Amino acid sequence: MPEPSASERSASEPGTATSGASIELENLTKRYPGSADPAVESVNMEIKAGELVVFVGPSGCGKSTTLKMINRLIEPTGGRIRIGGEDVTDIDPVKLRRKVGYAIQSSGLFPHMTVAQNIALVPKMIGWSKSRIRNRVEEMLDLVGLDAGEFQGRYPRQLSGGQQQRVGVARALAADPPVLLMDEPFGAVDPITRDHLQDELIRLQHELHKTIVFVTHDFDEAIKLGDRIAVLRERSHIAQFDTPEAILTNPADDFVSGFVGAGAALKRLNLTRVRDVEITDYPTVTVDDPLQNIFDKLRDSGTNEILLLDKRGRPYKWLRRGDMMRAKGSLARAGTLVSDTVTRDATLRDALEAVLTDNAGRVAVTGRRGEYTGVVDMETLMNSVHELLEADRLEAMEAQHELEEARALQTHAEQEGVGGEEKA
Amino acid sequence: MTTTPEVEEEETEAAVPPTPPKRRITWQKLTFLPAALVAVLLATWLWFNQAHLDAISKNALSNGQVSKALWRHVQLTVISTFFVLIIAIPLGILLTRAAFRKAAPVAMTFANMGQATPAIGLLALLVIWLGTGEKAALIGIIIYAVLPVLSNTIAGLKANDPTLLEAARGIGMSPLGVLAKVELPLAVPLILAGVRTALVLNVGTATLATFGGGGGLGVLITTGITTQRMPVLVLGSILTVSLALLVDWLASLAELLLRPRGLEAGS
Amino acid sequence: MSFWEYLGNRHQQLLTDAYQHASAVFQCMVVATLIGVVIGVVTYRSEWAGSLATTATSTILTIPSLAMIGLLIPIVGLGVPPTVIALTLYGLLPIVRNSIVGLRGVDPSLVDAAKGIGMSRLARLMRVELPLAWPPILTGIRVSTQMLMGIAAIAAYASGPGLGNEIFRGIGSLGSKNALNQVLAGTLGIIVLALLFDAAYVLLGRLTIPRGIRA
Repeated sequence: MPEPSASERSASEPGTATSGASIELENLTKRYPGSADPAVESVNMEIKAGELVVFVGPSGCGKSTTLKMINRLIEPTGGRIRIGGEDVTDIDPVKLRRKVGYAIQSSGLFPHMTVAQNIALVPKMIGWSKSRIRNRVEEMLDLVGLDAGEFQGRYPRQLSGGQQQRVGVARALAADPPVLLMDEPFGAVDPITRDHLQDELIRLQHELHKTIVFVTHDFDEAIKLGDRIAVLRERSHIAQFDTPEAILTNPADDFVSGFVGAGAALKRLNLTRVRDVEITDYPTVTVDDPLQNIFDKLRDSGTNEILLLDKRGRPYKWLRRGDMMRAKGSLARAGTLVSDTVTRDATLRDALEAVLTDNAGRVAVTGRRGEYTGVVDMETLMNSVHELLEADRLEAMEAQHELEEARALQTHAEQEGVGGEEKA
Repeated sequence: MTTTPEVEEEETEAAVPPTPPKRRITWQKLTFLPAALVAVLLATWLWFNQAHLDAISKNALSNGQVSKALWRHVQLTVISTFFVLIIAIPLGILLTRAAFRKAAPVAMTFANMGQATPAIGLLALLVIWLGTGEKAALIGIIIYAVLPVLSNTIAGLKANDPTLLEAARGIGMSPLGVLAKVELPLAVPLILAGVRTALVLNVGTATLATFGGGGGLGVLITTGITTQRMPVLVLGSILTVSLALLVDWLASLAELLLRPRGLEAGS
Repeated sequence: MSFWEYLGNRHQQLLTDAYQHASAVFQCMVVATLIGVVIGVVTYRSEWAGSLATTATSTILTIPSLAMIGLLIPIVGLGVPPTVIALTLYGLLPIVRNSIVGLRGVDPSLVDAAKGIGMSRLARLMRVELPLAWPPILTGIRVSTQMLMGIAAIAAYASGPGLGNEIFRGIGSLGSKNALNQVLAGTLGIIVLALLFDAAYVLLGRLTIPRGIRA
């Protein structure tokens, strides 16, 4: 069964309060003078508290503009914004922005201030005491994985791109805002650093449960990070607003499937872990076993090979019938070494890669300390993927059905008054 | 796949190691120019001590006229620079605000035309209008130096990266806060360069004050030329040059000291 | 006498002065540009040489023009020589500084590209680097010219040529009826010259800066 999405997880874990706030966008519109068409037209969206929603879409679709309207860096020309239930469309924008974290692509760190001074900016503006600010700066640096002692006094130009981004996120979170807006924050770093930063964000989100709105043009990033993804077309019209699984398996129209791109099934593999699929068990022996036992097992097993474990129970070698014979009875020379293993935390994509590179079509699964826990082979993988895709499709169809039902009920109610519901 | 060891790797490999803070004022900067000036002044003084000056020269240099001229020159420079700063910098800030953006090119055109005016002509016109003396000289000096400071202030503020300013607004700074905490500190290097130019310019324009009866070291120079006494002329010139170089040196130190830390080298 | 009458009366003298003023500034600008660009080309590649050149020429600029003239008189006498030397020296800094900044500002990848297609050092300089550095150099020339216009006026005090003489005539006769006319004539004359030169530079820029790099 696939892992519950982040928002469901937070609801089911007792005692983990969401520190995020819900966001409602109602008919949000932005018109620039001199342009016939609005840049953003009538966006309606509800973002749950503690959710990580990704806005994804082609350049010029207005996703950054929509994001910037949430903290009113760009003032909307129409519509309303509600954060945590409170209408913030007309309040003092400066006060609003102090309650909303904002992280941008070039990190936006002020070069003339140290890392500590940058992070301390918003708390200072709000009026925290010096000692509270000092502690908070250390806490934030810790949170984003930077050593406080080493980095506090440094200037932005002395940091690498990845480090600057981390500080940018730390600054955005410093005043503990319930909402965090991120505008392509990982766009300007190399792919390896981007990967790390994405992992860090996921970890952060598990800890903090903020409501995060994340803008990117990279759909793979959207799948990796988002609880829900809003695929936007021109003027920020919402083509589809749903979980990554649903979008992958059931794109709403050609635009969305074009955006998803080829390889939806492969991308889907990134969303499931090895622990979620069936792991077969292979017959195993250890190096300590007497040779005769090993021979017997080889002969009696239904499979072509058995797995030889070392003294600590870790996968050591694959043994096939005839290997022992060829090695003239010496265990040390028999069999092929295990080249790669995966853990239960690995994605199915990693497992597929390992299975493909090993030309026997299977890979050993190990536990926390590297000990053998099972084997995943090509057949199991294929079966599991088909099951997953089917389950997704069914879920999406069900959701669609429920939506239509709800709409029908509403239409009935509108047409025939309250009693109409009961009739329907 | 655990990420922690890879994160550490990333930091040690990719991080730019912090350079040991360069001493902002190297000993060369500290001593070279003053030493040269002292040497020149000493040489001059020694020469004058042993030179046989005739009556006219002696007359021109006697009774503390030299120190009076020097002191007046310093006064003119300092007072005018003060006024230039309080006029040009706020004006520069104003002209870069969104509301006044359209006025900026117009103002700059006026200022440019002002710069095309020869200082001596401007001073002369002011003297004709206001009469001889210190006032005309001061006003002339101030007008003349407003342009470089104004244009540098505007250039410095315009050069600020707009994404940084957006980030400042985005995290909740009020417009005044953005100006004071981000825009101005980042524009300080260019503004200071403009101030330094203005200071030196003012020393120069103040030499012309003599033509309007405003005093200053120019008196020695003109006296030397009209009476054809080289010693007087040379003394006036050397003192003027020394003052100008001294002021420039002090301003360069100020530039170094006041430049925000994070903006050094490579920016 | 009104200003226009004065102009009418003295236009011969004024035109002569104006011509000499412009000619002195122009010739010194040409020399300063040549020397300045050469200095820039020679020093821009090395950190210390460039700094030295910039610092040396900027030191010249800190010297007030009257004082510079005062120092030159004992050496070369009165009249044209101190004027020419002073103007050329003062004209150097903006050119040198902008040449160095302009040449250093050429995108290194472009220089590499030129190297890569086999251009010699001289060819690279003449066909890639200098043309790309030309806009800032032209700006330097404009700034320099404006400056020299004013300095030439002061040089007139040491019997140098130009419209400065008119201004000093006016100063010399302060209080008389013609003083204002003279000062005004001299000052406006210089302003007009400066504006004319500036317009000429803009035109020069249009003609010589390739469209692709026009600001």
